Amino acid sequence: MTDSPSSSVPIVPQESADLDRDQQVRLKSEGGKLLLLLPPEGDGGEENPAAVFNWEEVWQQLKQRLDAGDRFWQPETVVHLIARDRLLDGRQLQAIADALTEAQLRLKRVYTSRRQTAVAAATAGYSVEQQSSITHLNQSSQESGQVMAEPLYLETTLRSGADIQHNGTVVLLGDVNPGGTITAEGDILVWGRLRGVAHAGSKGNTRCLIMALQMEPTQLRIADFVARAPETPLTDYYPEVAYVTPQGSIHIVRASDFSRSRGEG
Amino acid sequence: MSRIIVITSGKGGVGKTTTTANLGMALARRNRRVAVIDADFGLRNLDLLLGLENRVVYTAVDFLAGQCRLEQALVKDKRHPNLVLLPAAQNRTKDAVKPDQMKKLAAALAKVYEYILVDCPAGIESGFQNAIAAAQEALIVTTPEIAAVRDADRVVGLLEANSIKQIHLIINRIRPAMVQANDMMSVEDVKEILAVPLIGVVPEDEKVIVSTNKGEPLVLSETPSMAGNAFDNIARRLEGEKVEFLDLTPTHDGFFSKLKKVLNTKLF
Repeated sequence: MTDSPSSSVPIVPQESADLDRDQQVRLKSEGGKLLLLLPPEGDGGEENPAAVFNWEEVWQQLKQRLDAGDRFWQPETVVHLIARDRLLDGRQLQAIADALTEAQLRLKRVYTSRRQTAVAAATAGYSVEQQSSITHLNQSSQESGQVMAEPLYLETTLRSGADIQHNGTVVLLGDVNPGGTITAEGDILVWGRLRGVAHAGSKGNTRCLIMALQMEPTQLRIADFVARAPETPLTDYYPEVAYVTPQGSIHIVRASDFSRSRGEG
Repeated sequence: MSRIIVITSGKGGVGKTTTTANLGMALARRNRRVAVIDADFGLRNLDLLLGLENRVVYTAVDFLAGQCRLEQALVKDKRHPNLVLLPAAQNRTKDAVKPDQMKKLAAALAKVYEYILVDCPAGIESGFQNAIAAAQEALIVTTPEIAAVRDADRVVGLLEANSIKQIHLIINRIRPAMVQANDMMSVEDVKEILAVPLIGVVPEDEKVIVSTNKGEPLVLSETPSMAGNAFDNIARRLEGEKVEFLDLTPTHDGFFSKLKKVLNTKLF
């Protein structure tokens, strides 16, 4: 695939649905504790179930994130759950607490803007902070601002159907199998085989990069550009880097040649 | 300690039910007490493959609805007293059962049986969620086709998300000659994508069709068959035995292989 120019076409920007879905379950360390942020539920859930994550999906994301990062957490770290406007019943709260316990983390406090969730959390014995939904709205608009989140580090195999979205750089130690997708606002580094779809600079930054030890993607996207892998598979693979050329197409070069070609370009 | 194992694949038609029937029978023949559960509510097949269709009186749904005792719903195998089948209801759909009920069911069976094999329906919807609810282990069945492998990959991800970490892979219906001619994915190709430990490779075998239609699991057959052997080996590996994988290199009649055969026969 080295140095092969790929045909690029701009993607039609997907506005509304994408915006709602681009926030996934996140774990973020802050001041010695871990924040578990759930994606907001919003109002669209009832009329359009496709626009928001349901509990099953949230649950799968949570399990995936816990499995993919547990090497880095200290045992007995305190977790604060930021449930936002998500409706959680006692059972679901218990499921979250159990999953955290399995990863040797302790759920202590629940932040929510929903009364029912607050009641369920208080019944289960967690300290609860109920915020009005107005402050929640402000919060979320602040978050989707210009500042990128810290890189997301994952150690897992992204299997078919797995879909990672992050408003920052994504570092994956493992393979992306066909049918798996990474969408990142920043760069994407895959320390493994990239055989699924990778979309770097998803908010339009054409200077973002996609790197992989073995680049056999179904599709590469950087900002609004799309490239396919060559039809005939290669025999040898090298670590490679994909970038957008000033001419406006995605190119892939060997990692060892990358810095040089950048200097010239 | 009994083992609750779900046999699943994602894609349909790759051999889940055949695998369940044969493994159940093979384990029963090794003097294990085995219960096979058909979790494919509404599209039950396992009773057919075991040749027990005409003995089904009550089903799992009848038991869960409180209309019969568990022992009444269990169908004893006509050949092997160690094997029982818990049939699915044919007149209901997947939504008739909840994951919690499946857990209850499996827990009740676990008191008596050493192996509980759950035959999972195709797909990843509620039927799948029910089937995996009680399982501690999973056997993924796939054929060497990209669609089957892709679906298997998805299912492995879902199993991991449901905290089922003990997953083994069965590659079914492989055709060694086609693999050698580079016309079919090899065992290595499949293993590379799924990254799950292999527990068995079952070659394509016409006898499977015959045995399915007769309702006689292949492992019972008098005449040994490649597929029957492969299933028997999987049962032994489940039991913790170390068994070599079958030599599936195609029997090509080249000059050297003929010569080798001649030499071997002369020697003995």
